Amino acid sequence: MNKYITLIRKDLLIEFRNSFSISSVLLYVFATVYIIYTSFFNIKGKEWNTLFWIVFLFISVNALIRTFNQEHGNRNLYYYQLVSANHIYITKLIYNTFILVILSLIEYLFFIIFAGNVVRDLSLFLSCLLLASVGFATVFTFVAAIGSKSGNNQLMTAILGFPCIIPILLVILKISANALGLMQDTDLSSDILILISIDVILIGISLLLFPYLWRE
Amino acid sequence: MKFKMVDKIWFKIFTVVLFSYVFIGGMLRPLNPGIKELSPISVKSGASVQIAVNTYNTHLKQGEVNGYLKLDSLYALPSKAVTVNGPSSGIFDFDIPAVFPDGQKSSNVTLIIASKTDGTFIRPDAIWIDLDSTKAIQAGMNWQKDIIKNLPVASNVGFPFRLILEETIRNVFYHVPLWFAMFILYSIAAFQGLKFIRKNKAEDLMKSYSYNRVGFYFGILGLLTGSVWARFTWGTFWTGDIKLNMTAIAMLIYAAYFILWNSFKDDQLRGRICSVYSIFAFVAMIPLIFVIPRLYDSLHPGNGGNPALGGEDLDNTLRTVFYPAVIAFTCLGLWLVNLTYKLTRINHKLLGE
Repeated sequence: MNKYITLIRKDLLIEFRNSFSISSVLLYVFATVYIIYTSFFNIKGKEWNTLFWIVFLFISVNALIRTFNQEHGNRNLYYYQLVSANHIYITKLIYNTFILVILSLIEYLFFIIFAGNVVRDLSLFLSCLLLASVGFATVFTFVAAIGSKSGNNQLMTAILGFPCIIPILLVILKISANALGLMQDTDLSSDILILISIDVILIGISLLLFPYLWRE
Repeated sequence: MKFKMVDKIWFKIFTVVLFSYVFIGGMLRPLNPGIKELSPISVKSGASVQIAVNTYNTHLKQGEVNGYLKLDSLYALPSKAVTVNGPSSGIFDFDIPAVFPDGQKSSNVTLIIASKTDGTFIRPDAIWIDLDSTKAIQAGMNWQKDIIKNLPVASNVGFPFRLILEETIRNVFYHVPLWFAMFILYSIAAFQGLKFIRKNKAEDLMKSYSYNRVGFYFGILGLLTGSVWARFTWGTFWTGDIKLNMTAIAMLIYAAYFILWNSFKDDQLRGRICSVYSIFAFVAMIPLIFVIPRLYDSLHPGNGGNPALGGEDLDNTLRTVFYPAVIAFTCLGLWLVNLTYKLTRINHKLLGE
């Protein structure tokens, strides 16, 4: 347990000492939402829903693509001696989920300011944000690990990650449409259950596979 | 799957024989007779109507053909006269009774045609009858009980005739087995990938790559055969149907695998990363193909109220070709994988030394 806390603390410290990276992501969120606002001006229910999640997709790619930038070469070897591979993965996952939850809340705030608040069922929408953050963090952390091993990190992460994220994105869009009052789903609970099970399956498989990815 | 079996001559003969059976049996067996079009499709009660019918795959002869309008399981109406204009067209005269036996206002009736040479064929819900309240109740024609008896049965049984599908029903032997075979190949690829990351043998890696590659080709063929089928039945090559789009995304996931494969220079690293991604891709594909389409309506059988594969759509005559087709495509896949594997190994040796 101590190891997890130390590793998360290390990641947080690196993030905040290097204030450039966190502020660049924040600016990215703001700029994207603002571009959408200036090109649409009047964003109604369905567009709101779609745009929100597409913006969220791009934000998460940009925020998580750098996940393993620091862990390469000698430093990688050093971590490998200290902790097991799954320690690294779980801390990265928790940390990335945390970052995505914060970023999605900030994005939601920007959307409220520029496009208005169309959310009817706030608790459902917030749980949607949480589940989406977990799913996106799982896929992009794993894919960023693959990307960091191949030469072309940025491009590879996007190519590998986007198709894998679509199942989660589609279920999320449906649940979120319910939260926005765009549609009345009779079996909403089963949709949420499907989303949770996709998240759990992806976390499970990436935990199983990450040690093999990490080994040099 | 051991490659030793695929190298044997009997395996190749078996595949070729099975394929010949699927192609010849699937293409040459005729369709059952069916009713292609008819007019009018909406009539008033109490009127004498002439229904012009175009049939498919029939040899109608004057004097050998009877028509019935079936109201429900109890009541039906025989035709008054039948004029046959050719082997596949005829005019059926009916005197529609003024009232329904159960006092309905309107009803759909099924057209049944019984021909001595072709057997019996039906068109469910063919004609809509509206009650015409101005007509007085006449004596004479009435809905009759238990008249549909001793219908002729055709001697040779073909594939079922389905509206919209017609002859393209044969595509079920090529389109569907391709997906089955693709999924089998992808699962073996994921399994081989798992074997590679555990035991680190180069053969397993090449096998995993070969399985993925042939599986990907099968996926492309599945999309193409589906696209041609969609053009005939739904009118466009590509629709917004959820299954089409989910499969397209599954193809993207695997296309990314090949890009990843080519992006490495170091063999050892490539093997590990690609195997890991191959397993991850397989797991990520399962919700795409088996879960998400259940959440939405689809034009495919088995979704949105359409009958499923196990239902009446796949009847016993289709099954006799469909199941061999699944086995044939899987065997062909294994054969292709074997060739791809050998090619990959030769390339590896040539480039490696």
